[in-house]
Order: sequence, then C-alpha cells, then structure tokens
Amino acid sequence: MAATEHISKQFEADLGTTRSRMLQMGGLVESQVLSAIQAFATGDAALIEQVIENDKRVNGYEVAIDGACNHIVVKRQPAASDLRLIMAISKIVTDLERIGDEAEKIARMARHIHEQGSQHPHRFPAVGHAAQIAVKMLRQALDGFARLDAASAAEVLKEDSAIDDEFRSVLRQLITFMMEDPRTISPSLDTLWVAKAIERIGDHAKNIAEQVIYIVKGTDVRHTSFSDIERELSKD
Amino acid sequence: MTISTPLYRARKRTNVAMLAVSALALGYGLFWLAWILGTLFYEGGNALARATLYHQMTPPPGADGGLANAIGGSLIMVSVATLVGTPVGILAGTYLAEYGRRGWLAGATRFLNDVLLSAPSIVIGLFVYSVYVAKAGHFSAWAGALALALIVVPVVVRTTDDMLRLVPNSLREAAMALGCPAWKMIVLVVYRAARVGILTGILLAVARISGETAPLLFTALNNQFWSTNLNAPIANLPVVIFQYAMSPYEDWHRLAWGGAALITIAVLLLNIVARALLRKAR
Amino acid sequence: MDVMDRATAAGMAPKLRIRDLNFYYGGYQALKNVTMDVPQGKVTAIIGPSGCGKSTLLRTMNRMYSLYPEQRATGEILLGEENLLTTRQDVSLIRARIGMVFQKPTPFPMSIYDNIAFGVRLFERLRPREMDERVAWALVRAALWDEVRGKLGQSGQSLSGGQQQRLCIARCIAIRPEVLLLDEPCSALDPISTAKVEELIHELTADYTVVIVTHNMQQAARVSDFTAYMYLGELIEFGDTDKLFIKPRKAQTEDYITGRFG
Repeated sequence: MAATEHISKQFEADLGTTRSRMLQMGGLVESQVLSAIQAFATGDAALIEQVIENDKRVNGYEVAIDGACNHIVVKRQPAASDLRLIMAISKIVTDLERIGDEAEKIARMARHIHEQGSQHPHRFPAVGHAAQIAVKMLRQALDGFARLDAASAAEVLKEDSAIDDEFRSVLRQLITFMMEDPRTISPSLDTLWVAKAIERIGDHAKNIAEQVIYIVKGTDVRHTSFSDIERELSKD
Repeated sequence: MTISTPLYRARKRTNVAMLAVSALALGYGLFWLAWILGTLFYEGGNALARATLYHQMTPPPGADGGLANAIGGSLIMVSVATLVGTPVGILAGTYLAEYGRRGWLAGATRFLNDVLLSAPSIVIGLFVYSVYVAKAGHFSAWAGALALALIVVPVVVRTTDDMLRLVPNSLREAAMALGCPAWKMIVLVVYRAARVGILTGILLAVARISGETAPLLFTALNNQFWSTNLNAPIANLPVVIFQYAMSPYEDWHRLAWGGAALITIAVLLLNIVARALLRKAR
Repeated sequence: MDVMDRATAAGMAPKLRIRDLNFYYGGYQALKNVTMDVPQGKVTAIIGPSGCGKSTLLRTMNRMYSLYPEQRATGEILLGEENLLTTRQDVSLIRARIGMVFQKPTPFPMSIYDNIAFGVRLFERLRPREMDERVAWALVRAALWDEVRGKLGQSGQSLSGGQQQRLCIARCIAIRPEVLLLDEPCSALDPISTAKVEELIHELTADYTVVIVTHNMQQAARVSDFTAYMYLGELIEFGDTDKLFIKPRKAQTEDYITGRFG
C-alpha cells in the first residue's frame, strides 16, 4: 500500500474518516453480538433491550458510511487502492449491518426463551462455542482491515467450516431433543434460530475477510476455493 | 480600506497634467500635418481638378499642359521596380524565415538588410549611376526602375520575414505531419496564412518608391515628351516636381503642386488599402 | 521487459515495436531506454506528470523531431521490419502512414473541403468526384459531416474549437494512415466536444491503431485499452488499462494515479 499521503489533504481526511467510522461500526456490531450471546445465556432483560435499541445506531452507521463513499466517488474518482478501499468498505458495511440484524434477532429469541423459563441455553454449550468462533472471526476480519493484513484475513476463511460443523451438531442435538419431548419444540426452535443466526454471522465475517483480501491484493476471492486462495496469496 | 486623500489628490493632479501634455503634443503634430495637407491641396487643388492634367504632356513655360507623360513614366518605373524587386524580396524573406534557423548566414543577412533598408536613397541612385548609367553612357528608365527596385527589395524582405515568422509553428507541424514536403508546406500553407501581411508589405514598398526623387535624378532623369522607350530618359512625377518647383514660372509651379498633391493622394490610398487588408486579416 | 503486459504475448500483434529508445534535446536526455509494443487496432494511452517525456515519445513515432536539428533519437522504432529512425525512405512517406493530431486545433487557412483534400492531393491523383467522396467519407468518420455538409466552401478557421479539432482528425484520416497519434487532443476543448472526440476515438479503432497522450487520467481510463505510465523519461509500467487503474504493479504508478504525487 502507498506510504505517502495524497496531495489533497481533504481527500486524505475523507478516506481516514470513512475508515475509522467503519471500524467504529465494527466495534459496535462486535459488542452487539457479544451482548446478544450473553443475553441468550443469562436472560438479562436490560441487556436484551439495549441490544435491540442499539440496532438503530448500527443502521445509522450504514447509511452514513455509504453516503460518505458516494461522496468520495463523486468527488475524487478514486483509482487503484483507493478505489478498492471504497468499493470494499461499501460492501463490508452491508455485511456489518446484517450482523447487527442477526444480533438483534438473537436478543429477541433470548427474550422469547427466557420468558418461557426454558433451560435450553444451559443444555447446548455448542451454541456458545459457535458464538465464540463467530466473534473471533469478526474480530480477526476487522483487525485484518485495520492493519491491511491479507494473511490474517485468510485465516478467517478457514474458520468458517468450523462454525458450520458446530451448527450441524447443534441441529442434530435439537432434533433429538424435539423427538424425545414434543413440549420442548418451541424453545428448541428458538434455539435453532439462534444457532442459525450465529452461523450467518460467521458467513458475514467471512465476506468481510474476502473484501479485506481484495483491498490488499486486488484479487476478488469470493466463491473461490480455499486452496486457490492460498495459492493466489502466496504470489507476489 | 483607508484611502490617503492627499495621495489620491496628488495622483489625480498628475493624471490631469499628463493628459494635458499629451493632448498638446497631439495637437502640435496634427497642426503641422493639417497645415501641410491644407497647403498641398490648396495650391494643387486647382491643377488636380483640371482634366488637362491627366492627358497633356509637360509643357514649355507659358504653354498650357499637363503631367500625362510624367504620370505614365512613374507608373512604368514603379511597376517594373515592383515586378523585379518583389519576387527577390519574397524569396529572400522566405529563406530567412523558413530556412534561416541554423547558422550565421541568416543573422548576417537580416542585419545587412536592415542597413540597406535605411540607406539614403540618393546613395542608391549614385550607385546605379556609377554601375549602370555611366557604363551605358545614357540615362534610362531601366536604370530608374533598377534603383527603385533596390529600394523595394529590403522593404519586402523585411515584411515577408516578419509576416512569415508570425505564422505559428503549429501550422507548419500540422502540414508536415500529413507528410507534406517542406517547400509545398511553405507555398501552400505558410504563404496562404501570411498572404495579407506580405501583400501589405508590397503595398507599403510601392508607396515608398512612388515618391522617391533622389535616385531618379541620376538614373531616369526626365523627358518632356511621352515615351515608352525604356532605354532612354523618361518623364516621372518626382523629378518634374523638382524641376518645376525650382523654376521661376507660375504655371510650372501650379503643375508642380498638382503633381505633389497627386503623389500624396496615391500614397494615401495605398496606405488605406494596406491598413484595411491588415484589419480584415486580424 | 517485465513491464510488458501478457497481452502482447497473448497474440495481439504489435503495430509498432519500440526498442531501447533514447532521445536528446541537445545535451538533455528526455527519453531513457524506452521499450514498448504498441498493439495493433487498439488504443494505447501514455500518461505521466508533466516533463515525463510522453509528448516526446509520441513525436518520435512519426519522426516529427527531424524538423529540429538539435533533437535526435537513438534506438529502434519498428513499423513492420523497418526502423523508422534510420530508414533511408523519405520521411514524408512515413508521416503518410503515421498521422498526428495536435493539442491545438490547426485548420489550414483554406476551405473545409481544401483542408481535407490537402493531404490527399499530396499522395493521390483523384478525379473530382472521387475526391468529393473521400472528403465526405473522412468527414463522416470524424463525426463532422452533419455539421458542415452544406458549407464545405467555408473557411476551416470559421468553425468552433471542437469542430476544428474534428476537422483536423478528418484531415488526418483522409489519407488513410495506419496509425493515429493524438497529442492531448481534447485539452483545448469543452466537455461536450471532448466527449464527442472520445466517442470518435472509440469508433476509429476498427481501422486504425491509436496512440493518445493525455494528462487527464480519467480520460485515459475511459478511452484506452492499454496504458503506459512514464516518469522522468522512463517507461515505468505498461499494461491493460483496467488492470493498471485498479491494481497497478508498480508503487510509482499507484502513487501517480491515486494523486499521491504528480
């Protein structure tokens, strides 16, 4: 990446502001996910309300950052790394907003489960495992963006299969549970939605990592197999 | 912003003073011009108005006559001089402007040309006298035309050189970029672009030689009769004016004034045409 | 040769091959060991900050520098098998095959018709009807026909700036060259005329190889298939335009096109 600054200080400032706003949004979304998972585990009503309320802020970030990207495109006609950065930020912001939505869904499910006084969360540690992996993926992807580190972003892509495995195991356990005792179907389904939401969060984190690789390497690695990506990254 | 009033007033005073001085100078110049022209047309107006001026020959003192032979002779010599001097001048000017970029020859030529341009015409006349008239043993219209041509050449060289150099290089490059050979580029493009300026230069040269007297005194002399023999002395307006003005005869004086007014009008017309052409070009 | 793009290896025959070109204005070296292939039938743009040698490079391709004694070039520019720099052939014939349009529109002081016929008359003897057709064809190709069809007798200098430039382009293509060199053709034009000329360039690639020098990077991105970036007389990078503008190989190129210097 270029070491020197743009001649236009205004452009430099605009880019810097947009990048840091995106990282702020990432931070907010990350804490949303953590809070939602905790609310699922503990049933803390105040936490649940906070998560649901904060989603408005996440949405606000999306609109503002997209507007800033449009402004930069109109004004500067960015090229090369600047172009890739702006295009990627625009996409990352969409993924972050969806993660925020998933976090809000988890909070709502948590409220539903705990209102019914269910014990499910304690019975399914796999959900907590999957959540940990998802948060780690998100954190690592955002970190890769901040440091423009493609290798670290590539690691994120590997983790995605781990989440899929956890999700499948939760699914199997829940099916067994539901078959044993039909009264548990309602909370089981809620737990299933939560697991699904976490799996989606993992997918979105993977998307973010792919965009980071695009920014740094200039290669679009979406829908590419991991071995191909590794080969691509080892070049130049 | 605060304006210093005494400073402002001082500037205004200077402005008014300088305007007054300039106007006075202008008036001074115009005054003399008006006087000259007025005298010229006052004295010569009568002669100009009479048709006999234009078809009768120069008369002996006391007789009635005109300036027909002088007008004819002047026209012949000016035409020949222009026809001889213009091609030489244009070609030399073209060399200076188009090929004279490299080397020392162009610079030296320009310098010599400028010297020749301001040479006193009597010197040119004497030169032609010693080189041609004395060798041939008689005065002639050819000699007169030659002397006038030697005055035309430096003027045309200078104006052609200047006008050609005013043509932007981008035009030349555009022609060359089409694969045009250099000489064609000059003739078909550069000459066309500079044609008005070059023509103006020629007109100014003609205006200049119309009134030259000194060279003709040693070369063409004068002739009382109508003549188209270019190998013999020929009548011409400047020498006729010279002779008639110095004479003691009244009617000769009148004819001299008429001739002077005629030359002045011709030069005036040529200058107006030259200016009109230039303005159109711009 | 690592600056060369795979494209030329991919089978697009180069129209011009430039090898180790060095150029001197008197004692000052303006081009340093430039090696480049100009692909046939494509638009190649040359970009770079002022003083980088892009116009100089363009002007060597049609031997324009031969007009000035203190300018000289060494190396090779191969058109087919012939080295344009050392050929014994008449330079005018080279310029008939490689035409040039300049930054400032330069219509000759004659009618529109004569402007276009001028170049044709240098090389071909056409009957009046054939000449009429050629003039009309050139004006149609230059997207100027509709605007001047009724007034071919009018002076070329009476047209607007954008029209004059298209007239110069028509004049250039009337002699049916193989290569068109455009030296910042739009920098003196307003945006609409610029757009018309750019559209024209796009259409011309069907029959001609085009090399365009421009200081407007967005124009280079819009108009060209290949782009060469030059700096201080050296060719820094050459490649497919999209790739160069999205992911340039050299940091210097990146710095220039993102506005980090220049």
